Amino acid sequence: MNPEIWRRSPVSFDRRPAQTETRDNWMVVLKYEDESEGPYLIDLSPRTRWDVQDSHLAEIRPGGVPIPDKPGQCTFQKGILVNRMNRTQAAVWHLTGETPEPPAHAAYTDVTESTVFLALVGRRVFAITEKLTSLDFLDPARSAPFLLQGPFSHVPCQVVTLEKSPDRAGILLTCSRGYARDLVAAILDAGEEFGLRPAGQIAFHNWLEELGY
Amino acid sequence: MKRLTHLPTLRIDPSQEIPLKYNRRTYQGVHGDTVATALFANGVRILARSLKYHRPRGLYSLDGECSNTFMQVNAIPNVCTENTLLRRGMTVEAQNVKGTPETDRMGFMDKLDWAMPAGFYYRTLHKPARIWPLALKQVRKAAGLGVIAPDFEMKGKYDEIYPQADVCVIGGGPAGMSAARAAAAQGLRVILLESRPWLGGFFDYRPAEYHDGVPLYRRARELAQRLEETTNVRIFSHTAMVGAYNNNLITAFQQGGPGDHFDERYIEIRAVSVVVATGCIERPLLFENNERPGVMQIGCAHRLARTYGLLPGEQAVFSIGHDLGLEAAIDLFDLGLKVACVADIREDGQDPRLVDELAARKIPFWRGWVATRAHGKKTVTKVSLSTIPGTQQRDFGCDLLVASAGMTPVTGPLTLAQAQLQYDLHTGFFLPAQLPPKVHAAGRLLGLHDALAIEASGHLAGLEAAADCGVSVDADRQRARENLDSRPGPVRGCKLVLAPVKGRKSFICFDEDTTIKNIQQAIAMGFEATELIKRFTTAGTGPGQGGIPGHNLPLFVAQYLGEASVAAQPTVVRAPLVPTFLATYAGSHHDMCKRTPVHDSQKQAGGVMRRIGVWRRARYFSQDFSCREEIVNVRNNVGMLDASTLGKFRIWGPDALQALQRVYVSDMSKVSEGKVKYSAMCNDDGCIIDDGVVVKRGANDYYFTTSTARAGVTGEWFRYHTRYDGWNFSIVNLTDAFGVINLAGPNARQVLEKVADADVSNAAFPYIGYREFTIRDTIPVRAMRLGFVGELSYELHVPSSYMQALWDILAEAGRELNIRNFGVEAQNVLRMEKCHLIIGAESELRTTLHDVGLGFLWDRTKTAAKTVGAVALRQTAEQEGRLKLVGFKMEDPSRTPKDGSLIVDRAIRGYICIARHSFTLEEPVGLALVEAPLNQEGTRLEIFEDECGDRRLYAKVVPTPFYDPEGTRLRI
Repeated sequence: MNPEIWRRSPVSFDRRPAQTETRDNWMVVLKYEDESEGPYLIDLSPRTRWDVQDSHLAEIRPGGVPIPDKPGQCTFQKGILVNRMNRTQAAVWHLTGETPEPPAHAAYTDVTESTVFLALVGRRVFAITEKLTSLDFLDPARSAPFLLQGPFSHVPCQVVTLEKSPDRAGILLTCSRGYARDLVAAILDAGEEFGLRPAGQIAFHNWLEELGY
Repeated sequence: MKRLTHLPTLRIDPSQEIPLKYNRRTYQGVHGDTVATALFANGVRILARSLKYHRPRGLYSLDGECSNTFMQVNAIPNVCTENTLLRRGMTVEAQNVKGTPETDRMGFMDKLDWAMPAGFYYRTLHKPARIWPLALKQVRKAAGLGVIAPDFEMKGKYDEIYPQADVCVIGGGPAGMSAARAAAAQGLRVILLESRPWLGGFFDYRPAEYHDGVPLYRRARELAQRLEETTNVRIFSHTAMVGAYNNNLITAFQQGGPGDHFDERYIEIRAVSVVVATGCIERPLLFENNERPGVMQIGCAHRLARTYGLLPGEQAVFSIGHDLGLEAAIDLFDLGLKVACVADIREDGQDPRLVDELAARKIPFWRGWVATRAHGKKTVTKVSLSTIPGTQQRDFGCDLLVASAGMTPVTGPLTLAQAQLQYDLHTGFFLPAQLPPKVHAAGRLLGLHDALAIEASGHLAGLEAAADCGVSVDADRQRARENLDSRPGPVRGCKLVLAPVKGRKSFICFDEDTTIKNIQQAIAMGFEATELIKRFTTAGTGPGQGGIPGHNLPLFVAQYLGEASVAAQPTVVRAPLVPTFLATYAGSHHDMCKRTPVHDSQKQAGGVMRRIGVWRRARYFSQDFSCREEIVNVRNNVGMLDASTLGKFRIWGPDALQALQRVYVSDMSKVSEGKVKYSAMCNDDGCIIDDGVVVKRGANDYYFTTSTARAGVTGEWFRYHTRYDGWNFSIVNLTDAFGVINLAGPNARQVLEKVADADVSNAAFPYIGYREFTIRDTIPVRAMRLGFVGELSYELHVPSSYMQALWDILAEAGRELNIRNFGVEAQNVLRMEKCHLIIGAESELRTTLHDVGLGFLWDRTKTAAKTVGAVALRQTAEQEGRLKLVGFKMEDPSRTPKDGSLIVDRAIRGYICIARHSFTLEEPVGLALVEAPLNQEGTRLEIFEDECGDRRLYAKVVPTPFYDPEGTRLRI
């Protein structure tokens, strides 16, 4: 591997990084200057994501984590979030920052490069999201984490509500990589009145820790 | 004008003054004022002139039921100033006037009403026909409702939200608030929409007793406070509901207040159940000059005083048909208004306590009398009253006429929700005969007037809505129903529409200047259906959406025709119920499009970016849109194209090959490792819909590309066409996972071999070969040797995160060769010279594989695969009368026809798909779809270009491809 060849995230915030780290040729921002107290928009695009497709999904355990039975359900264990999408398909998101190779099983496809991966966490997150989508992240009939698939700022997205509580609320979302710039601009614009700012990976880890993950 | 500042019902803060500019003068309003009430406080009585006759108009309803108070505010025309809150620095101008509203030079139009009968626009000045365009210009100059410049840019922030609710309550009056409380008490998420800036409805401003000595306004505030403290209720005030759609999708728009981050925002709510508690507005009383400034409805006069602290006049006459009129007369008298007389249309049925109170104040009270004429040139100076039959008449000097025929329910939301309305003889209302599932009505709009009954009705509706959401409330509902039944029911309504007058200046629709006489003229011309009369006379087609004429028009028509068979039917209302800025619908204007990983570097390199489908792509790399240098460079040197937008897929599994066989026309079992296979897809009609290449990457594991346009639908296309087979295969869309660089030109290999960690010589990596290797030990590449632009080309598929790095590496490696970018347009010309097709450009919905000369791709022998489109391909292979793709060259080499130009003789015989000047061939060439008889080589084509008049261009059908027909340049 040539360390001078950089991989680039589809997301670039108009903020000065205060702390960075190199991982697998990605330049990862750990912290931005003047992050304030949130809510935060965090770029998780370098984190590994797999697509799993098989007619016998129940027999597959990505990283030892079971795939939930019903579409819309999620399992979050060992830093791996597994989202059941439909009868034959699940998404596997590695939230810890590790970059494991996909298992040899043919069911797996590495889709890290396919999508932009964002976290929107902190106070009044759902006041921001309701400006962008009619997806119901606070549906009382669902317990977090749960997956919704639908338009977010008019772009087809997969969105997982990881936490509903008002102070620590948070969602994770992915969509086609090409939409990254416009999606980020739309989210930041919607969040401006609530003090939304870009934040680095540390903010994400702190948030996960606060949630007890 | 002195304000009443001591009233507990006020919604203004007189201590906070807010200036506004009107007619080049600065006026002072106060916090809480609307623009119109601020002007009224400063003595402005005429706010606008009417559409057609330029009649003076002023405050009438205070709820935006007509265009009387439409003005230009901060350069925005048609702002309804009676419900637009005053903000600091506003500049207000009158519209549709020449001069000022007080002295409008177009005021003479009012005397020309005889020349503008019903249907004037359809019937007059049309013969001879040449007159009409001239007349139309003059009509448009004289009439109108606001003017907007074509380049006008709407300032402000317009937002949108999509909140979720179990129950959506429309209307924040007592019934609506009770409904919201009842539903919220069941733990449901409730949204309450209220069009005024505060809750309270018709309790809000009234000091009359609610119960046990508590005044209505205090009860309203209690209810509002409790609701505001309920965490599972969201209140959207100053929010007008504008639409209702399937499955209780409710749309609304909200005006922003001082602390809001928006000027206006669009709200879209998906609710399980909806409660409509929109209450009533007043039904206008029709008499001569019934819209003269100084004539206003009961609620308008009462709220001016009680909400804004403004006495609506000095000396008043009341001509009313409802107890609210008596109550208002008493209260306004107590606040200092002189009341000359209260004329009640009703002979009986009044609340005796109110009649006694009138008597106690020595206010003359006449039963069975009605206003027949408002006098005064610009504002009211005198009123004529008469008995209902018109036998007696009296005049009163006054500056205020409070006039109302009674109440009418606000049923617009119910109509939009598909409720069936029918006329109710008791109330005189159009009431819902049947409500759609999960829609409920409550409160005053059902004819209730008693305060406790209204609340009980709302409570019951809230429980009904909760039941819709699956909550078990049977016992509560039973109790609520019994409570409602124990209260007074709907009150008898007044039926009078028209005072005993001829109706020449009795306006049934203020927005459109439609008079009773116009309605009579329409009926005399044979119109009997109210909907047709509405259209012919335009009554109710203005921005008020029937707020003024909506009830009176069908009643008047039914009464006028007087036949038993003619039942009163309400006219249809449509969304948006309230005029809304287009800017509000547009929201925050985010144009969501996709960008490739090298978007920025292309732009920095001079790329002219264009929206192409969902993508933004570099179409040109200079301002020379012929792309001469880009094209010549690829033909003679080497260029780089960003082709990342191509669709890319992985398909795998035991039955992946069968799926490919089903969807592609070729025999896909012949896809061999290390090679690229080009093929096409057709639909069931045999029409070509896509093309691309397939490579095999492992056992039952394939990677294929599609056109950019089909990238979003190809996965579903595979699944749809294999849905009954139960095959075991998977497909994943990798379009965004890989960036693609097309490195093309005779020197392409010299660039690639500098950076690739593999042998890319012609022998090791021949034409239509497929290889996987790394670049600079780091970047994994899937490389295809293709030739879309007709030169030695490498299509390099690379993980998107590495795309920019590879782009930079190739640019650096090619620097000494003067490598340069080329864009989509250059590619378009290059591939056209080679006659390589773009599906959609050289094909259309009816173009088969055979029509474009790609029939050779179809493998007729794989019948077991049941290839999509194969049956139709068999039937159309030799079919006559089809359009065929041909190449052509122009007779006049200085002239290139436009794309889309028609091929003609005496009829249309085809069209040009693409034509460009070929810098390689140094003449214009193109491709056209023409009728089969014209596709023979040497045929002369006659070309009709738009706006060419009688002149024609001529071309000749020639063999294709135009460039390198042997394909030697692909194989070097």
